Amino acid sequence: MSVPALRAVELTKRYGRLTALDHLNLDVEPGEVFGFLGPNGAGKSTTIRLLLGLARPSAGHAEVFGTDAGDVTRAHASLAYVPADVALWPQLTGAEILHLQARTGRGTDTAYRDELIERFALDPSKPARTYSTGNRQKVALIAAFATRAPLLVLDEPTSGLDPLMEREFRTAVGSARDRGQTVFLSSHQLAEVEAVCDRVGILRAGRLAEVATIGRLRGLHRCEVTVSYTGTAPQLSAVPGIEAVESAGDGRLRFSLAGPPAPALLALAAADVTALAVREPSLEEIFLDYYGTETAR
Amino acid sequence: MSATALSPTATGLPVPPAPGRAVTGLAIRQIRRTGPIVAVLAAGMTALVAATYARVMADPAAAGSLAALAGNPAIRTLFGTPAGLDTAGGFTVWRVGTVTAVLLAAWSILATTRITRGEEDAGRWDVLLSGRIALRHTVVRHLAVVMLVPAATGCGITGVLLGAGTPLTGALVHGIGTGLLGLFFAAVAAFTAQVFATRAPATGSAVAVLGVSLLARMIGDGITELGWLRWLSPFGLLALSGPYVQDRAVPLLVLLAAVAVVAVAVPAAAGRREVRGGLIAAASGRRARLRLLGSVELFAIRRTLRPLTGWVLGVGAYFLLIGVTTVSVTEFLADNPVLANEAARAGFAGLGSVAGFVATLFAILAMPAGGFAAVRMAAFVSAETDRRMSLLAAAPVSRTRLLGVDLAATAAAAAVLVTVAGLATWAGVAAIGGDLPLVAALHGVWNILPIVLLSVGAAAFATGWAPGWVGVAGGLPATGGFLLLVIADSVAAPQWLRELSPFAHLAPVPLTGPDWAATAVMLGLAALLAGGGVAGYRRRDLRS
Repeated sequence: MSVPALRAVELTKRYGRLTALDHLNLDVEPGEVFGFLGPNGAGKSTTIRLLLGLARPSAGHAEVFGTDAGDVTRAHASLAYVPADVALWPQLTGAEILHLQARTGRGTDTAYRDELIERFALDPSKPARTYSTGNRQKVALIAAFATRAPLLVLDEPTSGLDPLMEREFRTAVGSARDRGQTVFLSSHQLAEVEAVCDRVGILRAGRLAEVATIGRLRGLHRCEVTVSYTGTAPQLSAVPGIEAVESAGDGRLRFSLAGPPAPALLALAAADVTALAVREPSLEEIFLDYYGTETAR
Repeated sequence: MSATALSPTATGLPVPPAPGRAVTGLAIRQIRRTGPIVAVLAAGMTALVAATYARVMADPAAAGSLAALAGNPAIRTLFGTPAGLDTAGGFTVWRVGTVTAVLLAAWSILATTRITRGEEDAGRWDVLLSGRIALRHTVVRHLAVVMLVPAATGCGITGVLLGAGTPLTGALVHGIGTGLLGLFFAAVAAFTAQVFATRAPATGSAVAVLGVSLLARMIGDGITELGWLRWLSPFGLLALSGPYVQDRAVPLLVLLAAVAVVAVAVPAAAGRREVRGGLIAAASGRRARLRLLGSVELFAIRRTLRPLTGWVLGVGAYFLLIGVTTVSVTEFLADNPVLANEAARAGFAGLGSVAGFVATLFAILAMPAGGFAAVRMAAFVSAETDRRMSLLAAAPVSRTRLLGVDLAATAAAAAVLVTVAGLATWAGVAAIGGDLPLVAALHGVWNILPIVLLSVGAAAFATGWAPGWVGVAGGLPATGGFLLLVIADSVAAPQWLRELSPFAHLAPVPLTGPDWAATAVMLGLAALLAGGGVAGYRRRDLRS
C-alpha cells in the first residue's frame, strides 16, 4: 500500500475550552483531488494549519507523505500552499514575490509559471500593496501551481476570483491531476468541488461527518423523484424513505427519496405509473442536507 | 419590478443622529489603553522626582552625585542645560522635562499614524467612509481625540507640580509647554499621514521631525552662535520658556502658533487626496529587483536594509555632531575642576578628556541601537500576525531558521549601526582636530554591543513566548535599563536596584578597558534569552 499524501490520526485542536477540531481521522491518497467542505467555523482552516505544522495539535498527529507535519523542513519539501486570505509583502512586486517563493520552495517550472501568469492575466510588475484580493490570490495560486510539489494544499483558493479566472483555476487543477499531483482543496464553492474533486470530506463543527466519492454521496442522499400516473395516485405516505410528497400538476407526484429504493418501487408498482424521472441531488443540496437544519452539534 | 424604488433620501428607517460622534467613539476606543498610560506615566514621573527633591538636597552625597549628573555631558545633551536646580520646580523640570516631552511626542506620533493612516492603509476605513462621514472629518476627529492625551498630560503635570508646592507660574509654563509639544507632534503626524499613502513613511517622517527638533535644541544649547536654532524647534522653545527661571510666555505662543498652522494644514491636505492615497502618489509599476530574494537569509537582509539606512542616517548624524562638539565641551569641563571633581566622585572620571567624554556618550548609543533591535523584531512578529509570513512558513524552512535568520540579521544590522556611530564620532573629532584614535572609537562603540544583544535576546524571548510584548521586551534592557539607572541615581535608590541596570556594569571604554566579566555575563544572558525564545517559537502556534 502506498503512503498517503496526507494523513490525520485522531487530530485534535483545542483553543481553551473551544474544541476547533475533534479527533479527525483522514487519509488523502496520492494522485487524488480531495474536496474539503464545511461551513464557516467548521474547522477547515484549523485542519490545514495543523497539516502544515503552522499550529501544533493538542492531541493526535498529522503526516505529509509519511513525514510528521511538525518536521516542516521535510514535510514542506513535498507541498505547496495557498492560504485562505493571501497577505503579501506590500513593497515587493508580484514578480519579486514569485521569485522569492520559487527560490525558497522546492523548485519551480518557470516556463509553466510564465504561462500561468498569462492565463491568470496577472500584472507582475505592480507592488503587492496595489493588488486586489483576487490578484493576491492569483500570485499565491501561480506560485503553487508552478511548483512540481507532489501535494497542493489550497485553502478556499477561488473566493476572490471572477468566473473566467475560476475556469482557469479548474484547468490548472486538472493539469495538476494529470501530472499526478495530489490536491487538497478546501472550498465553499460547491460547483467547483463537484467539478474537480474525486472525493469529498465534509466537516461539521470540528468533526468529520462524511468522506466519500461524490457519486456515493449522491447515493447516500435524497434524490427527487417525479412520477406520472393514470388512474388513482400511488399510496406513498407510509413508505419508508419517502418524504415530502406533493402534487406536481395533473397526474404527477413529486417526492424525495432517501435510502434503498425497493419499498418505493414496490409501492409504485401497485399503481399505473406511466413515467418516472429521478434527479440526483446536487452537492449543494447534499451540503444543505448536512447543515441546513442543524448548524450546531 | 414589483417594489417601488426607494428615493435617495427616504430609507423608511429613522436616520441615527450625529454620525461624527460614532467616529469619535471609534478613535477613543483605539487609544483608550495607551493614552491614559502615557498621561499617568508623564505626570507620575514628574510627581516622583518633585517629591524626592527635598530628600536629595538634604543628603550631601546625593546632592554631589546630582551635581556630577548635571555635569555629565551625555545627560546635558539629552536633558538640556540645567537651570534652577536650587528649586524643586527647576530641578524637576530638568530631571524629567525632556523625558516626558519625548515620551509624549513619540506616543502622539505613533498613536496618530496608527489610528489614521494605519487603519486606512489596512482597508478598515473603506467601510467607515462609505457612511455619512467624509474623509476630512474622519481625520480631524481622530486627530482631535489623540490631542486630548497631550492636553490631559499638560494639565496633569501642572497639577502634580502645584501639588508638590512649586510656584504657579512655573507649573503652568512647564505643563502648557509639554502639552503644546505633544499637540504639535500629533498634528505633524496627522499631516505626514496625509502626505504618504502608507504608515511606515508617515511615521518615519514624523519621527524624523522629532529627531531633528531634538538635535536643533542640542546644537542650540551647545553652540552659543547657533542659539537661535532653538526658536525653530519645539524642544528648543520648551527650553527657552525656562520654567521656574525665566517663565517666558513668548516661546509658548510661538509653539501654539506652530500647532495651529500644522493642525489647519491637516484637513486642507486630507481634502486634496483620495481615500487610501496620499498627496505623494505611489508608483503603479516597476521592473522586478530580484537581488536579495534568493533565500530566507537574503530576504531577511533585504527587509533590514531600508530601515537600517534610516537609522544609520539619524544616529550617524547625531554622533557626528557629538564628535564635532566634543573638543569644546571637554575643554570647558577641563577648565572647571570643581565640576570635574564632583563628576569623578560619582564615577564619571576623565570627563575632561575626549576619551572619557565619548565613553559616556557611547553608553547612550545603546538606547537607539536597542530600540532598533526591538523595532525590527516587532516587525517580524507583525509580519506573522498579518499573515505575510504564511507563504514563507509553508516553505521547507524550519522555525529555528525562520526566526534565527531574522535574529542574526537584526544583530548584524545593530552592529553596523553602532559601528557607523563610532566612525561618525571619530570623523567629527578628527575634523575639529581632536585626539581620538579610530580604534579607540570603535572599541568604545563595540563595548555597548552586549547591551544591544540583550535587547535582541529579550525581543527573541518575547517572540517565542509572548509575541504581543516583543516591542516592550526589546526596549527593556537598553532604554529601561538606562532610565532605571538615571532614576535610581536621582532618587538615591538602594544599590541592588541600580545594579539591575546593565548600564551599571558598563565600563567607560575607550577611557578604560572593557569589563570582560560583565560583558561575558551579558552575552551569556542574551544567548540564553535568544535560545529560550527560539524554543518557544518552535513549539507555539503561528499567530495568523
